[in-house]
Parts: sequence; C-alpha cells; structure tokens
Amino acid sequence: MHTDLATVIAEKIPTRRDPARLLQALEQRYADRITGKFTLPGRDGRYADLPPDLPPRLRDALRARGVERLYSHQAQAWASVRAGSNTVVVTPTASGKTLCYTLPVVTAAIESRAKALYLFPTKALAQDQVAELLELNRAGDLGLRACTFDGDTPGDARQSVRLHGDIVVSNPDMLHQGILPHHTKWAQFFENLRYVVIDEIHTYRGVFGSHVANVLRRLMRVCAFYGAKPVFILCSATIGNPREHAQALIGDAVHAITDSGAPCGEKHVLLWNPPVINPDLGLRASARSQVTRIARASIRARLKTLVFAPSRLLVEVLTKYLKDVFDHDPRKPARIHAYRGGYLPTQRRQTEQALRAGSIDGVVSTSALELGVDIGALDVVVLHGYPGSIAATWQRFGRAGRRRQAAIGVLVATSQALDQYIVRHPEFFENAPPEQARIAPDHPLILLDHIRCAAFELPFVATDAFASVEPRPYLEVLADAEVVHREGERWEWIADAYPANAVSLRSVADGNFVVVDRTDGRQTIIAEVDFSAAALTLYEGAIHMVQSTPYQVERLDWEGRKAYVTRTHVDYYTDAIDYTQLKVLERFDGANAGQGACRHGEVHVVRRVAGYKKIRYYTHENIGYGPVALPDQELHTTSIWWQLREDVLEAAFASRQAALDGFLGAASVLHTVANVRVMAESRDLQKAVGSGDGAWFATRDAHGRGQWRATDGTLARGGERHAPTVYLYDNYPGGVGLSDPLFRVQADLVRDAIALVAACACKAGCPACVGPVLAADEAGSAKANAAIVLALLESV
Amino acid sequence: MNALVDKLKKLRAQAGAAAAPANAAHDDTERLRRLLQRRPEPRAASLPAERVALAGEEIAPGLRYVEAWRPYEAGAPVLPPRWHDAHAVARERFVCFDTETTGLAGGSGTRAFMIGAADWHDGGLRVRQLYLTRMAGEAAMLDAFASWLAEASVLVSYNGRSYDAPLLATRYRLARRANPLAGLPHVDLLHPVRRAYRGRWENCRLATIERQLLGIVREDDLPGAQAPAAWLAYLRHGAAGRLMQVIEHNRQDVVTLARLLDAMAVDASPESFVATMSRDNVTACA
Repeated sequence: MHTDLATVIAEKIPTRRDPARLLQALEQRYADRITGKFTLPGRDGRYADLPPDLPPRLRDALRARGVERLYSHQAQAWASVRAGSNTVVVTPTASGKTLCYTLPVVTAAIESRAKALYLFPTKALAQDQVAELLELNRAGDLGLRACTFDGDTPGDARQSVRLHGDIVVSNPDMLHQGILPHHTKWAQFFENLRYVVIDEIHTYRGVFGSHVANVLRRLMRVCAFYGAKPVFILCSATIGNPREHAQALIGDAVHAITDSGAPCGEKHVLLWNPPVINPDLGLRASARSQVTRIARASIRARLKTLVFAPSRLLVEVLTKYLKDVFDHDPRKPARIHAYRGGYLPTQRRQTEQALRAGSIDGVVSTSALELGVDIGALDVVVLHGYPGSIAATWQRFGRAGRRRQAAIGVLVATSQALDQYIVRHPEFFENAPPEQARIAPDHPLILLDHIRCAAFELPFVATDAFASVEPRPYLEVLADAEVVHREGERWEWIADAYPANAVSLRSVADGNFVVVDRTDGRQTIIAEVDFSAAALTLYEGAIHMVQSTPYQVERLDWEGRKAYVTRTHVDYYTDAIDYTQLKVLERFDGANAGQGACRHGEVHVVRRVAGYKKIRYYTHENIGYGPVALPDQELHTTSIWWQLREDVLEAAFASRQAALDGFLGAASVLHTVANVRVMAESRDLQKAVGSGDGAWFATRDAHGRGQWRATDGTLARGGERHAPTVYLYDNYPGGVGLSDPLFRVQADLVRDAIALVAACACKAGCPACVGPVLAADEAGSAKANAAIVLALLESV
Repeated sequence: MNALVDKLKKLRAQAGAAAAPANAAHDDTERLRRLLQRRPEPRAASLPAERVALAGEEIAPGLRYVEAWRPYEAGAPVLPPRWHDAHAVARERFVCFDTETTGLAGGSGTRAFMIGAADWHDGGLRVRQLYLTRMAGEAAMLDAFASWLAEASVLVSYNGRSYDAPLLATRYRLARRANPLAGLPHVDLLHPVRRAYRGRWENCRLATIERQLLGIVREDDLPGAQAPAAWLAYLRHGAAGRLMQVIEHNRQDVVTLARLLDAMAVDASPESFVATMSRDNVTACA
C-alpha cells in the first residue's frame, strides 16, 4: 500500500474542502460562460440489516471491514438472488454494487463449495475484484479461493485455478477462447457452477455485445451438459433499458433492481461555453484553456479533481499544464497524474492506489476511468467536450460525489457543433433520458461464428436449439465448408482447427505497438499503444508523451510493431491530420430510390494519416507541419449508398453548395434512422458523403457547411462537379451484415428520415435531425436542403 | 489484417473444393449462403469408391477391430524401467498405445478415430486396434479400449502424457464415461529418449528413433500428418485405401513402442524414467 507520511499528515489537517464555495466562486466570476446549471438533490441512505441467513463467518468478515448494515438495494439483490432469480443491479457509481453479488456468491461457496464465474470487460477490473475478495477472505478467514483466469495466467497455475478456484474472475474473450473450447478440463467447475456474475454490462453493446451474448449462449449450453443452470447476477451503469438489455444478453427473464439505497450528496452540473475571443470570426477560447482554468481553481480549493479528456494526446497536454502549476518541485511527490490506456499496468495501479489513498489531488484521464475501477470518491469532475452520449456523460459525472458532500460536474464545450448544441440547449441535456444499449445477437454472421465455436465444444443433435435460434441452416453451411460432419441426427466438429481463435469479439486486434525509449543507449519499454491508435500517435516525428514527459518518435517499425523514441525538450506537441475515404468495389444489388438510386455492395474504406501539425504549448499556434508516410488503414466492408443524377440536382438546387449541404444533412438523418432500424451502435454503422467515384469526399467546416476534399486531404477549389453520394457502411472488417438488411428496407429508411426531419422542432437544423448547423444561411437552411434531397430519394 | 474477409475468402476456397451434400433447398441456408456470397458448388461427382476391403471385423455399429499376434524374441520376463524404489514390472502389465486423431488443434473438438495397443500376451506381442467407420462408433470404441486396461496396467506411449492421454480424457468426459487412464502409471518414452539421444540424431521423432536405434525401416508408410485426411476421405466418400495405410502406420507405431521399451531398459538412465512418472504412480506399481 502507498500510505506514506504525507498522506497521514494530510488527513490530520482539518480540511476546508467545500465544493459549494468553488461553485459560488465560479458562478460569480464566470456567469457569462455558464450556459446551464442544474442541481440533482442529495439523498439520504436507506438501509437494511444484514440478512439473518448470512453465514456467521461472512457476517464477521463484513463487520471486520466496517460493514454493519446494507443499503436497501443490496438487501433486495440478496433476496432476489437467493430466490434463484437472475438479477440486474443498476445503481450509480460507488453505490456498493460489488456487495450485491459478493454476498450470495461467498455464501454459496461457504455453505456448499458452489462455484462462481465473474466476467469483467478488462483485466484491470478483474484484478481489482480479486484483490477485494482476498481482503474479505482474510478478514473472515473464509477459506475462499478467488483467482483471475486470463491471458496473463501462467500455464502451471491454470490447472490449479480449474480444479480449486471457488470464484474464477475472467473476461468474455477468455471465456470464448480459453475456457469453453476446453470445457472438459473445467468439468468440476461447471458441475458446481451456481452463479455467473457479469459487471459493466453497458459496455457489452453493438457488435461486441452481440458477440458476448452468443458466448453466453455457448456457456449455458456447456453448463447444461454438466447439469448446471447458474443464476446470473448482472450490474450496469445507468442506461435507458437495463432490464431489457440484461435479458437480451442472457436470453432469459431478469429481475431489475434500479433504486439505489446509497446516500449521496447533491450534485451541481454546469454547462460551460468558452468565451468568444474574436466576435468577428465567432471564435471561442479553446476548451483546453477553460478546463485547465477550472481544474486549477478546483485543486487550489483542495478539492480532489478528475478531468476527462477525449484523447490520449489531450490527456498529456492537460496533465502538463496542471503539472506546470502544481508539480514544479521535483523533490515532492507528484500531485497530478495522468491515466490512460497505453500506460503499463503497474503505473495505472499506482495512480489508482494514490487516488484511493487521497495522496494525489488531480488526475487527467481518458474514458479509461469511466468504468468501475475503484478510485474512491472525488469532488469535482471536469469534462473536456461532450463524450458523445448522455449515458457516458452521467457516468463520468458519477465519479464525483462523496456521501454527504456536494459535488460538481462541469461540461466544457469544444468548438464542435455537437458540443455547441448541447451547451446552448441546456434543457435538452437536463431532460434527455440516457441512451439504450442495443445488441443483435441473432445477426447471421455473428451467429455463424458462434455456432461454429459451439459445434466444436459439443456436437449438435437434431432437436437442439441454440438459445432461441434454429441452428440447422448454419450447420448446413458449416457442413458445406466441411468443418462439421453430419451423421444421422448429429452434427459433429470434424476439422483440424480451433475456431475460437479465428473469432475476435472486439473486431480487429492486430497486436499492440510497444514504445521503446532509446535515450542514452537505453532500451526500455515505456508504453504500449494499440493498433488502431498507432498510426495517429506513433508516426516518425511525433511527440509522444508519457505522464506529460515528451519523447520524440525517431523510427517506427510498422511490421515489428515497435516505435523507438528518445527524450526531448521541445515546446510543442504534434497532432495527426487524417482523412477517411470510401471507394465502391462491387455492386451486389441496386434499386430505384425516387428519382435517384440506392445500391448495396462492397466498399473499400481508407483512413490515411496525411501529416501532422506542430502546435506550441499555451498559445496553440500552429508552428509547422511534417509529412507522414504510413500504410493506409484499410477496411473492406459492405455499404448501402444513395445517389442522385446531376441533372436532377441542377433542377432542384440553387447551388452545388446547397446540394452538398443537403447530402450531408440527409446522411445524418439516414444514419440516425438506420441505427434505430438495425439496433446498431452508432460506432458499428458509419456514415460518409463522397463522390460516386471515390475521388472526393465531403467534410463539414467549423460552421457545419460542406466542403469537398481530394483524397490527399486538400480542399477542392470549387467549380468541380462531384456527384454527392450518401454512404452508410459497416464499421467492421468484412462487414457485420448491417447493410444487407438496410438495403431491403431502403425505401422505409428514406420515409423515416423525411418524417424525422418534418417532426423536428428546430428551424434550420440541429444534431437531433440533420446534424449540427451553426451558420445562418441565406440559400436555404441545411434542414430544408436535406429535406429536398430526401424528397428526391423517396419512392412513392 | 482482416480476419473476417480472410475467413470469407477461405470459405469460398473451401466451397470450391468441397462436395456439398445434396440438401433439400432450405430458404435460410440460401440466405446465409448469399450473405457469405458463395453459391453452393455443383456437387462434384462422387469419387469412385476405391474397392479396398476394410480391415478387421465390425464389433459394434461404426467400430471395427483388428488383431494381430507375432512371436517376440523373449527378453527378460520383467522389464526394468529402472525407476527408484520400485520393483521391475512384469512384462505383461505394459500396454503400449497410440491414437490417430483428427488434428492437433486441441480442445473438445479434436477426436481420436483410431486407438492401437500392443501388449505381451501368450508369449508373443499382441497388437489390437480399434477404428471408427462412422462417428457413432466412438462410445463403443472408448468402452472397448477401457476393457483392455486393468488396475495393474502400466501405460507406455510416445508423448502420450501430454497428447494422447489428455485427448482421451476429454473424449471419455464428453461420452460421459469414467476415464480408464486416470490413475494408471504412464511411461512416456519421449522424455527418456530425449535425455539419452538428444543431439545424436536429427530429431527425436519416433520414426527417426526407430530407424536409428532399432533399425526399423518402414515401407510405403503414410506420414502421420496425413492420417486425418485419410479418415475423412473414408468418412465422406468411402475411400478406404489410405485409411488402411493409417492402420498399418498405427500398428507399426505401437510395435515400435514395445521394442523401444526393451531397448531403453538397456540404454537410458534410470532417472530419466522417473521423470516420466509422478511419484504416486511409481509407488502404485511397486
């Protein structure tokens, strides 16, 4: 543990932490920047006695750890689970969700050596959980064996985990690739499996969630083979449809507990728009400067402060700004830490411990701290930009709040249109319900993957169903491919292959890059960067920051997945310039869409890092560019797209600009209604507007107006004729099959889009319909232009 | 780069090679095929089934049994794999076994389609083999093999402790049967062979060892790696020729094991045998 003297002393000093004073000060000084303010009332705790049927040893262990009574939701969860009901617990961060499953699981282990499987989305969360269980175990001498089982578990320890683990803590990927295909080795575990605990179920949505639901189907199939029918205990952060989502994941009825009994102080939410610094151009101060200002004030007021930044780069920049103020004496322990993916696990564990111990004052993090990593409670949370969903915003704000003290959450808008929309319409944010989590477990391609894996695990017999799915057509396809063999009524795996290794639950995983520090002849690994982020952060010339210490990338070994860096002392950081472009490879099918056409086919998506900007600290002036020569990030996928002929556009629009704006607006609406149709996560289905030949693509400028760019990113000079095309594509290698069903309902999509635009109360366009539009417009609003495009595409 | 695309490509390629069973056109299947962008290939004309007779007799539906006996120049009545604190073991207690499987992928989807065992019996070496002609014969095969093992049996294999035995354990578990190998002492000759001859020959594969050490030269041998394909060819098309070669290969493997055990009793250090068995097992067979 990291309880140093400074911490002890700090705890003795009478604190004057009072978020209310900071709130007052901010409101007085920055009234013109605060566009919205609302307060969520605090709530007293509601409690229940420890259940009488708790084993005495567990009761003692809880008392030894200071638990004398339960919150009401914990008692409800105990009753529900003990009655044998699948149960989902949906309560805020730090409301004691863990005890909801620990109590029944540990009780069953003590009473009858029953086993439990825990699934967490990350290894770090799994380690936290085991550490906590072991502490409870020690406190009560419970004789409990809890262990992690993941890719880091050494080979010689695995046997012992399989045979002796009472509580095995793992993740869905490991269950999929490491446990289920070897289930016979886990026979004793499965025979005695009483509980399956799945935490953070809100992270299992979209393609990932659909995969996880199928892994759970396979788990239940294997359990049935061993005569077990475990009870599921699920936990989620606040989402719009917790019970429905839990039921979709496990394919069974679930009892929902949504009323938290944990006390909480009142929470003040401020929406903050940076001040206008150039009224002529309508330019605002950067969110960076505002976030730094608020965090500084907060830390000076002795409030524990957490800043969420949207990218790893900004985490480093903001950390540097705060360290420049608070950590200028290198002899003292750091008061400010950065926290993000890409740091080594030990570094992150240190920061988590320091947060729990209260020995640091400020942390700057990416969404990595959004999940339930135990970091104790904080006083102030500052968001750099709108995280993209209401649910994620509340989850981040949920990190602030001690039991009986007020807490503050500040959302600082960036100049992006969606952010601007949120801070200018505070009532929208205040009243919007959190988003719903969606999965599509019956998606044919995902099903094919998992029926393949399931056939490997246990043969299918004619009467078997795969959850609610009739597996026969899939088995026939697999038999065609000669991976299963049909004999009478049985379908048995026959191929020399391990199918789970070919199925990744989280799209492409191509191996991490390691960052090697070669300063002064060293060879030290200082960081890891995942494949998807490598092109954007590790190009040669990039300034790569670790805990805000700048390193320069000297050489990038793309094939070897290594970046060699040296320590540097420059006064700038770098930011990649990247473009996405789409090209049609093959048309599968086409149909008329009003006066235009709708098509379905295979496309090639290319993301290219064209170069980078050097940006000076503090002034944020652009002091130079550098070239980047990296392989394009490619994605072959399926898409549906709409086009209108040139003459139709000429007749309908006053200018090509208006037509392009219309297409960009129509793309936003079609994207929205398509997501609803196929119940996809918006990250699974992407939209784009480009020219039909793939040579040009359209982006929005700072005012929401469309502009054409060539594939190298240069702006079109204007005057060219580019037939605008709306693309909706599967953001998944090979396509996840979203676009095929979309093509079949393309006419309905256009009709839905028209209805959505017509019903939207905004005048010229808003993020809820055609996308964010700020520019006041002479030549017809973006909304009107989008409506024209959609009308032309409507089949009557 | 792109797992799903690769997989689709692979599927397409496989479709070209595969003879799709003639199924009544099924709507859902057709839709899936379309999604995978592959058409069912016109069914390749069935290969003319080779007129090769199957060895052995059918002892259960889908299971055939082959037995052979050969004189064995009698060595010592007991064999001393000279482990510590243990008496030598009567020759008759050893069961030299080897399996042929559908592949090396591991996990619950890999199966044994043939089990061969050699033991000393009636003053000579008896070789018994079981093999599947249909998948449905598996349970009977597992039962038959279990009946060959007694409490006093000592297993002998080549890499069987890490490969054949765990694989059979999985198969017995899947068939809901007790694992007859569990608890039996098991001499895995790979380890003493490695210790005794490492670096002397190009590798320690069984074929190399038998050629160099025992002077056995196989004629017309089917490489072990082709065994899965040979069995599948029979299963799918009734082509038995290669499968009969697998039987011959497997037979030679277990005979080699028996001879190797004799040879190792002379050549290998006692310690190396101990390393192949856990101490419990050593005591059990004392």
